[in-house]
Amino acid sequence: MNAPDPHPYRWPAEGVSRAPYWVFNDPTIYEREQANIFRGRVWHYIGLEAEVPQPGSFKSTRIGDAPVILARDENGVLRAMLNRCAHRGNLVCLEQLGQVKEFYCVYHAWVYNLQGDLQSVAFRRGIRGEGGLPADFDMADHGLRKLRCESFCGLVFATYAHDMPPLAEWLGEVGNGIKRVLNRPLKVLGYDTQRLAANWKNYHENPRDSYHANILHTFFGTFGMSRQSQESGMVIDAGGRHLYFFTKAGTEKQSTDYQNTAEQLRSHNAGFRLEEPGIFKWQDEHGDGVSIQILTVYPTFVLHQIGNSLATRQLVPNGPQQVDLHWTYFGYADDSEAMTNVRLTQTNLAGSAGLVSMEDATVCEMIRRATGGANDDASIMQMGGKDLTSGGASKLSERGLRNFWHTYRSDLGL
Amino acid sequence: MGVDLHTQHAIEQLHYEWARRIDEGRYEDLLALLTEDAEYKVASRFNVDRDLPLAIIHTRTRAQLKDRITSLRVANIYETHHYRHLVSGVQVVGATERGHEVRSNYTVIRTMEHDGSMAVFSAGQYRDEVVFDGDAPRLRRRHVVFDSRAIDTLLVIPL
Repeated sequence: MNAPDPHPYRWPAEGVSRAPYWVFNDPTIYEREQANIFRGRVWHYIGLEAEVPQPGSFKSTRIGDAPVILARDENGVLRAMLNRCAHRGNLVCLEQLGQVKEFYCVYHAWVYNLQGDLQSVAFRRGIRGEGGLPADFDMADHGLRKLRCESFCGLVFATYAHDMPPLAEWLGEVGNGIKRVLNRPLKVLGYDTQRLAANWKNYHENPRDSYHANILHTFFGTFGMSRQSQESGMVIDAGGRHLYFFTKAGTEKQSTDYQNTAEQLRSHNAGFRLEEPGIFKWQDEHGDGVSIQILTVYPTFVLHQIGNSLATRQLVPNGPQQVDLHWTYFGYADDSEAMTNVRLTQTNLAGSAGLVSMEDATVCEMIRRATGGANDDASIMQMGGKDLTSGGASKLSERGLRNFWHTYRSDLGL
Repeated sequence: MGVDLHTQHAIEQLHYEWARRIDEGRYEDLLALLTEDAEYKVASRFNVDRDLPLAIIHTRTRAQLKDRITSLRVANIYETHHYRHLVSGVQVVGATERGHEVRSNYTVIRTMEHDGSMAVFSAGQYRDEVVFDGDAPRLRRRHVVFDSRAIDTLLVIPL
């Protein structure tokens, strides 16, 4: 007798304005994501050029479950390859960051150059005429698995699909938001990893969802530093994969709608003041008044400018129920010491101890718990409308989420 | 680096006071253990070992730490949890212009109220400058260097 299928992988009839909760919980879906998204026709952020400044510089990271090395070869060319020996599948790079001449597998001394080509194999010819590899073993066939690698304004992306369109084309109009912030060489200030007991998509949805920003995140609102009524907007690429939101501080507009709503918002409380709010005062570095820009690239990347705090965020899933969020903070290579200190101070706002953003982790985890056993239910995303274009450029819209689920369904064949 | 037993005792008591005030949920009472110009910083060993300046919490005055505590009381959203500090190995390792350079170990076990789960949330080293205001020891600097590069969910209560 067949047991009834608890969720026969059928998407709710309402389409992109719904996301069934089984996509967050189901291990089979997770495996399909690994194949179709992480190893699929998608560009994945893997690091900053500034993290691999010299020939031989490398960084280890992951794309989905797969360990990946980003390296700069002898000629200064960026290379991405799997961190997995072609012989028996061991790691060939054990450090997170560093500089090497070659990648060496400690198990049987198979050695690869910075392009990932196999250079030598211990006892390849055996010893005293015994053992060794067959005569037809061709070193050229057994390099580390190479990924296609491109950079855009110092952000490095890689893909398993060697015939992907160029990265700049993939980013589309959202590339303009990257160019705006990453307009000169960068300097890494440090790292922060946040480990969430949630599905990676719970977090990916979060910065695509501008509706929650001033409702959940009450730090600025509580202390009278920011309101939803400021001038803001969204830019989304033609494919609907990537987007960014921007807000211009100091453009408070009076509106009756806002006044009526604000009274219901927990965040609007005029009673509290900080002792030293001045430390969060930002400088308009780009001369366009944009105080916050949160940019999301499908499926695992965020670039943020929160005042003068600049960081990338990279999602690395650890199964369906856990995800690591890697924050890499940076400034510009030509920053003065004073400017570096401004950025370091504003780091208090973001990251795993971020006064503004810590709630995101809480909400992702609470959603995971709330949707346990909810394979017969779905989330609703109808702010601004029900389809891919409705909602326009408004921040009070869930257009960015609907577009995510559209791309996701297409990639997973759901 | 020798200090007299009275000084060593006073510095140890300062460490235990800090820990107990947090573990009892009296975060505001931490401020009295700091000088007005005290710096409180929480940075991963991963960054510190690489001379990367980023700290996930960095307050340069007592007032800035007070703002963080106000924020955790009135603004930030997180699930209710409690800390239990285990502090050990309090050693005076040198002299500063105004006081003592001190090192100690901490372990923080975090208990989540919603399901009762308990786990080591953070372990690492306090790198402090302790100065004396008369008989009373005060922290002029507390650098918390945590050993793991990862934070489980979030860090809102000071370590």
